[in-house]
Formats: sequence, C-alpha cells, structure tokens
Amino acid sequence: MIAEFISKYGLIALLIAFPAYYGVQDLINDGNLTRIGNNLVDGLSNGAIWALVALGYTLVYGIIELINFAHGEIFMLGAFVSFALWGELGLHPDTATVSLILGLLVSLIVAMLVSGSLNVMIERVGYRPLRGAPKLAPLITAVGFSFILQNVGILWLGASQRAVPDLIHSQRELFSVFGLSVSRGDLLAVAVTIPLVLLLTSFVAQSRLGKAMRATAQDPEAAKLMGINVDTTISLTFLLGGLLAGAAGLINTLYQTSVWYFQGFTAGLIAFTAAVMGGIGNLRGAVLGGLIIGCIQQVSDNRIGNEWTPAVIFAYLVLIMVFRPQGLIGEETREAG
Amino acid sequence: MSSNGSLLSTVSTTKVFGGLLAVSDVSIEVAPKSIVSIIGPNGAGKTTFFNMLTGLYRPTAGRILFDGHDVTGRRPDLITTAGMARTFQNIRLFSTMSALENVMVGCHARMHAGLFGSILRTPSVRREEADVTDKSREMLEYVGLKRDLHDQTAANLSYGDQRRVEIARALASDPKLLLLDEPTAGMNPQESQRLTEFMDQLRREKDLTILLIEHDMKVVMGVSEHIWVLDHGEKIAEGEPDEIRTNDRVIEAYLGKQGG
Amino acid sequence: MSTLRELRTREWTKYLLPAVVLLAAVLFPLFRPPLDGFMDDCILALAYVVMALGLNLVVGFAGLLDLGYVAFYALGAMAVGWWASDFYTGVGGAEEGIHIGVSGFAATLPGIHVNFLLIVIGATIVCAVAGAIIGLPTLRLRGDYIAIVTLAFGEIIGRIFQNGDEITLFGDYKLSNGRQSIAPVDAIDIPFLDPFDSALNLRPYYWTAFAMVLVVLFVNIRLRDSKLGRAWIALREDEVAAASMGVPLVKTKLLAYATGGAFGGISGAFLGAYFSSVNANQFQFGFSIFILAMVILGGLGSIWGVVLGAVALAFVNNRLIPDVLDQGFVGDKLKDLGLDFSFTEISFGIFGFILVIMMVLRPEGILPERRRQMELKEGIGESEAVFEARV
Repeated sequence: MIAEFISKYGLIALLIAFPAYYGVQDLINDGNLTRIGNNLVDGLSNGAIWALVALGYTLVYGIIELINFAHGEIFMLGAFVSFALWGELGLHPDTATVSLILGLLVSLIVAMLVSGSLNVMIERVGYRPLRGAPKLAPLITAVGFSFILQNVGILWLGASQRAVPDLIHSQRELFSVFGLSVSRGDLLAVAVTIPLVLLLTSFVAQSRLGKAMRATAQDPEAAKLMGINVDTTISLTFLLGGLLAGAAGLINTLYQTSVWYFQGFTAGLIAFTAAVMGGIGNLRGAVLGGLIIGCIQQVSDNRIGNEWTPAVIFAYLVLIMVFRPQGLIGEETREAG
Repeated sequence: MSSNGSLLSTVSTTKVFGGLLAVSDVSIEVAPKSIVSIIGPNGAGKTTFFNMLTGLYRPTAGRILFDGHDVTGRRPDLITTAGMARTFQNIRLFSTMSALENVMVGCHARMHAGLFGSILRTPSVRREEADVTDKSREMLEYVGLKRDLHDQTAANLSYGDQRRVEIARALASDPKLLLLDEPTAGMNPQESQRLTEFMDQLRREKDLTILLIEHDMKVVMGVSEHIWVLDHGEKIAEGEPDEIRTNDRVIEAYLGKQGG
Repeated sequence: MSTLRELRTREWTKYLLPAVVLLAAVLFPLFRPPLDGFMDDCILALAYVVMALGLNLVVGFAGLLDLGYVAFYALGAMAVGWWASDFYTGVGGAEEGIHIGVSGFAATLPGIHVNFLLIVIGATIVCAVAGAIIGLPTLRLRGDYIAIVTLAFGEIIGRIFQNGDEITLFGDYKLSNGRQSIAPVDAIDIPFLDPFDSALNLRPYYWTAFAMVLVVLFVNIRLRDSKLGRAWIALREDEVAAASMGVPLVKTKLLAYATGGAFGGISGAFLGAYFSSVNANQFQFGFSIFILAMVILGGLGSIWGVVLGAVALAFVNNRLIPDVLDQGFVGDKLKDLGLDFSFTEISFGIFGFILVIMMVLRPEGILPERRRQMELKEGIGESEAVFEARV
C-alpha cells in the first residue's frame, strides 16, 4: 500500500519538479512566471497532439497487448498525406478563409482515412498471422514495419526536413491571458483534439462496437464466447487508432509547419511514454499523459535545448517503467489468469 | 529445525489479492520425515498457499519458518537453495529441453560453475558437469523413466512420464521438503497407488518430508500422517485421516461445493 | 591396408571440412592484395558477426529483447576515441599526453594513447557494467516493455554522445566531440608487431577481426552448453519454474546483458580503430535494428545461423545495395522506369522488410536452433505466466 502511494506521488513529484524548477528560476530572474507559463501553454497544445497519438497506442495495447511500433509512422504518413494534399488542392497561406477551411477539412478526412486504413492493413498482414506466436514475434514485426514506413517517407519527401506552407499562420498570437500568449496553432491543436477525444471516449463507452472493444480487451476468450467477432473488433481498434494518428499528423503539420520522415520515430516514443505515463490501456490516462509529456517536452526544448529533449523524455520513460509501470491512473487491462 | 521440532511451520499466513482474500490466517506445522497433505474444494487457496511457501507470492501477513529460518517473502530461488522443492499442478517442464536437461536445471542451486569457469571449462567445472549429468540420469531412473527417453524432448513425453520428470527435477536440488501439487492428477488408480508407494519410498530412502496438495481421497487417506483442510482460504479442520474423514465441516465443504 | 581403413573412420573426417574452411579463411588474405575491397567487406562482416553473436546471447539465448544494442557499439567506439587519439590533448601535460603500451608514432602524440588490447579489456569491462545497468530496470518487466526500455537506453546513450560536446568533465574535458568525428584514432598496435596501417595493409586487421570472432565463438559455444546456458533457456521458457528450481533470475539475466554487451564493446572498439575515426552520428536506433535483423535472419539462438545472418547482411549492406542494386543492373532498370532513388537510402527499410518477412514466414531463421524452432513454429513451450515471478 505504501509502495503504491510513494510510487504514485513520487512520479507526480518528479513530473512537477521539472517545470517547477524553471518556474522558480523565472521568478528569480524575471520576477514573473511568464516564460514558464508560455512554455506550458505551448506544451499543452503540443501535448494535445501527443494525446491523439497516445490514444492510438493505448487502444491497441489495451486490446491485444502489443506495442504497435509502427504507430509513430502512421502519424508521420498522416502528416505527409496532408502536405501532399495541400499541394494538390493549391492551399497556401493567402487562400481565402472559406476555401482554406474546406480544403483543410478535406485533407483531415483523407489523412485520417489513409492512416486508419494503413494501420488496419498492418494488423492484418503483420500481426494477425502471429497472434498465437510468442510475443517476441509481432513485436519484431512491428519494428520492421516501422522501418519500412520510415523509408517510404524518405522515398516520398527525402531525408531532410521539409518546410510546409504556414497555412494558418500558426504562430500568430490570437489572444493573451494572464500575460501568456496563445497562438492560432495552440488554439487549433486544442480545438481539434478535444472533440476527437470526446467522440472517441463516448464511442468506446457507449456504442456497441465500443463495448465489444472493451470486452475483448478484458477477456478475448469470453468475448468470443459471447459472439463478439474478435478479428473485426481488433481491426476496428486499429482503425480508430490510425484515424486519430492521421488527424494528429495533420494538426502537427499545421502547427509546426514542417514534415520529416523521422518525426514518426520521435513522436512514437514520446506518445508511447505518454500512454505509459497515464496508464497503458487507459484512455483518460493517454490524454493526461500526452498533455504532461507535451509540457515536459516544451520546457526541455526551451530550457535545455531540443537536442537533449529526446534523452530527457526517454529518461522519464525508463523511470516510469521501473518505478511505476502502471502509470498515473493505471489499471489492469486484462483479468489475471 | 525450529524450536518445536517442525521442519516447516507457518504462522497465520494470509494472502490478499486486491479485494480477494485468498488465504486467511493459515497456520500449519510439518514434522520432519512426515508425509502430510492439504486438501479442500477447488478454489480453497491451496495452490496460493503453496506459492507463498515457495516464495512466488509474498504473504500479506503472517510468517513462514523453514528449517529454523524465517523465509517469509524470500525469493523463490533462495528458498529452493534452502531446501524446499516443488512440482506444479499444471506440469511446468521446460518443454524444449530434454528430460535430462530439465533435471540438470534442477541441480542449478547445488552447482558452483560461474561465468568464467564455464567459459574456460576448468577441470572442476568439467567434473561438476559430468557428476551432475550422472546424478540427473540416476534421478530419472529412480523415478522410473526409461533410459532411452532421457534425451527425449520433454514436450514429446507422455503425461505420466512428464510427471516423473517433474519429480526428478524437484529431487535434483537435494531438498529437505518436497511440495507436490496434485501429483496424481490425470492418473488412473494403479498409477496413483504406485505414486503413493513411491512417496513412502522417497521418504525412507531420501530422508525427505513431503507436503501434498491432493484431491484423490484414497491417496490422501492412505499416505498422510496429518491433513489440513482449507475452504475459502481458511483452515477449517486438521488432524489424522480418520478424524478428517468423519469431520462434519469437511464433509459439508465438499458436498456443498460439488453437490455430489 | 587396415591403416587406410582406419583413416576413413568418421571421427577423423568429421573435423576435416571445418579444418579446411578454417585454414582457407585464415590464409585467404595472402591471396588478395593488401588493400582489397573484398577484404574490407570481410573485415566489416567479421566485426558484425561479433556484434550479432553478442546480441544473440541476450535475445536468442536468454530471450530478452534488447533493442538498444547500439549502446554497446557506442561505448566501445568511444573507448578508442577517448583513449587512443588526441581528443584529450592537454591531459598529462599539453605536449606529452599519457602513453600506455604504445610504440611508434602514437607514442609521440599528445592526448591519451593506450594500447589497443588494453582498451579492448577496458571496453569489455565498461560494456559489461553498462549492460548490467541497462538490464537492471528491465528485470521485472515483460518482453515488450523490455524492448522499449532497452531502446530508450540506446537512444539516451546515443544522444549523450551526440551532444557530448556540451558536457564537460573535470574542468575542460568534453565528453565527446558531438556530431563531429574524433579522428584520427590510433592504429592497432599489438606487442611484438608493427602498428597496423589501414591505408597500406588490411591483412593484419583481417586477422585481428578473425581472432576476435574465434574468441567470441568459443565463449558462445562454451556458455551455450554450460550451467549458465541451461539457466538462460530455462528462464526464457518459464521464469517462474526456473526460479522455483533455484535459478536466480536477477543474476542470470544481468549476466546475459553484461556478456552480450561486452561483445558489442569489443567490436565497437575494433571498428573505431579500423575506421580510424569515431563519429557519434552512427549511434542510431537503426544500427540496433541492423544487428537484430542479422540475428533474426540467421536464426534466434543459433550460433552458426547468426554468423551466416551477419555475413549475409554485412554484404547486403556494403555490396549488394550500393554496388549491385544502385549501380548495377537493377539500378539501371529503375532509372529507365523513371524512379530516381538510391537503394542505399532505403537500406534500413530493406532490413525492416527482412524482419517482417522472416517473422511471418520463417521466424526460426535460416539455420534454426532446435529449441527456438519448436517455440516459434510449433508453439511449444509458451507459458503465459499466471503470475509474474518475483525477482
């Protein structure tokens, strides 16, 4: 009991300590918390994007206990598809607002569908045949897919980062609250993510298919006996995860105005850390984890340097895995045998 | 040996899983060189209790004393080193290893070869490997596994032979106390009888104490000197076979569960 | 006449073929020019064989999916970068440096210059310790989490060295040269022989690499058939039963990580010396997957399979992709089709593809190891632990 308490609040303390340290520095240096506050605002909007990706990881892990290594690349390809579509649709920063919004909506839907179908296809081709095999096998397959898709990215847009037209002028400040600047990109990230998350959680909680997903996640054998088509349910889960990742890809491209074949790898690990931090298999946990990780990432980028941020995040990942693998909210996703 | 002479004693051992009270306040005393049994309806907590004894579960409360030492919550491999060995209810052999290799793993705790010794195959390591191989073959023959099956992959052995190998593997660590979890499961009456005789033989020849979990009443009544009855995690009765046979609470626990 | 018949007994001929192969492998550099592209490929292949055998020990024998093996390559390479170059000019007096066991030109240079063999010993120890440290957090974790944690460590260590020019120790000494190479690295200098020179003669490098492989093969084979080897198989198959039989899980797992990691360090040090430069940009996750692909292709847990897999992928990476596919027949055909890309660019995609294909079609690898084949193909020996073994 005590160990549980210590690990939970220890983790929370470690998470808070990082930005708090810099907050204190700000108070000392600037006399106010504006800088750290802006870090956190940016962090939350970044985090919203990671939340979407983390949800995909957590949904899949919850149902088949597999880390879909290629999920980050699904996100990356969603971003690439968006970029390509904008070119096709002729969208650029000066496009009229109505056309822009229409164009973005179309790209959002296409990106989501492409990512969703890709995710379903990967499951069908790579994971389903290995469902009876030792866990090692689909995991290695997942890594293989991750690499294949990364190279698809290289072939498509080359090995270096590509700048993307700043369609919504994402850095332009929209308004400020308590002296903290909220940009268009920030608002977009949050405004698109929240409805998607709500849609997903209500779908999982209330729809028949959602119930099937939860049942399969808890006990696949029993679910099968209840007449649930486990194969279809699993495919559906991958579809949902992919849809969210595709959306995240588009939002991220609007927000960051760049794409890169490697962004899936880093995004994947960041989002996975978020999912684990919240509690793997737990949807609210994934969102919470995403937001937290986004803040940590932003503080690290801004204060330590973005070349160090992956190391910082991975360090947190290791700490979580060792001391609190069930995450903050964490729950058993499968009945003990 | 603890002060009262028991080889194994548990004091109010309890195990709680989340909300489930699996084993509640169970105290037993096992005399050395005895054959004793734990019985009870399915789900009574017998295997959970075993798992606490062997260190796979840490007791939520209570203590476990073995051979004069408090081994409560000790790691499983250290408990084996201390002299407790076990078999499993669902046979857990290393199925891709041969019968012989399985038994050799059982000797792990008694072997001294280290990393560098193994790489260099020093004379003492070579001798140890040869001795362990011989001893393991002897063990397999002792439990009745035919010679030509010693190098057979464990997965390919018959159920009865697999049970034999499991016992040989447990014996390989030279234990003082042998825990057998439903050793006659899946056996016909003749095989059960042979096992019962074998247990007596083990006790005599190997200087062993044996603690059984069993469902086969004939075996239990025939071989045990003392019996504990668990139901819903609690000890509801203990005593000699004749006392248990006629104990009302015990009868009720069994009949109530099965309905006949 | 009876002697002739005796000569044909099986015992004798069993060793004939391997002996001939061994002799051929040892003598072959004498039949090639001292600076030979093919020998260069072979040297690289030998170095990768060592790495693959190391990873095979962790993943194949002990069943611990380590996706961060690049960490050991990094540590081994950095060891020569630190201790066999002028990177730490200024230590021991700006002009003099520290010299241990070196002769010839290197003995006159500033910086730290330690004999290669001593560095190998040092790298072995560092990597063994690092392996244990990396393994420690994974002890209570399940397979997929082990993969992630080891991956994270691989990335952390890689990043630390990539950004190491920002970290200073003991005053002004940088941890690494960041994204720039540490060069030149001293040539290998073995006692009683002249220092090697990779610009003039590759043969000594070949024989050193070959010796490395022999040592590592020897250690692998010995361990496989030992008490420890059995303990690894047992814990891979059923941790709970293994612990109940007296196998100390923590110690056994850490020994796997440490021994496997040590091989990576040895090979990393060799490669650093062979390339005469160490560059932290190479410490990428992709490298870990490259080595993993060798193990999977050859056969998890199969010593000779892994040797084959390593040699095969080394040649695919160094020869097939750049020379045959890009510049050869296939490359020309692709250009005719208007597809403009370089196979080299997608080499990691190719390795990813190998992983997927192998896992779906032939997970036990080309030269399967008997037990793994049973586990992977026939599903024998899979025990989902009802409860996790306490370590």
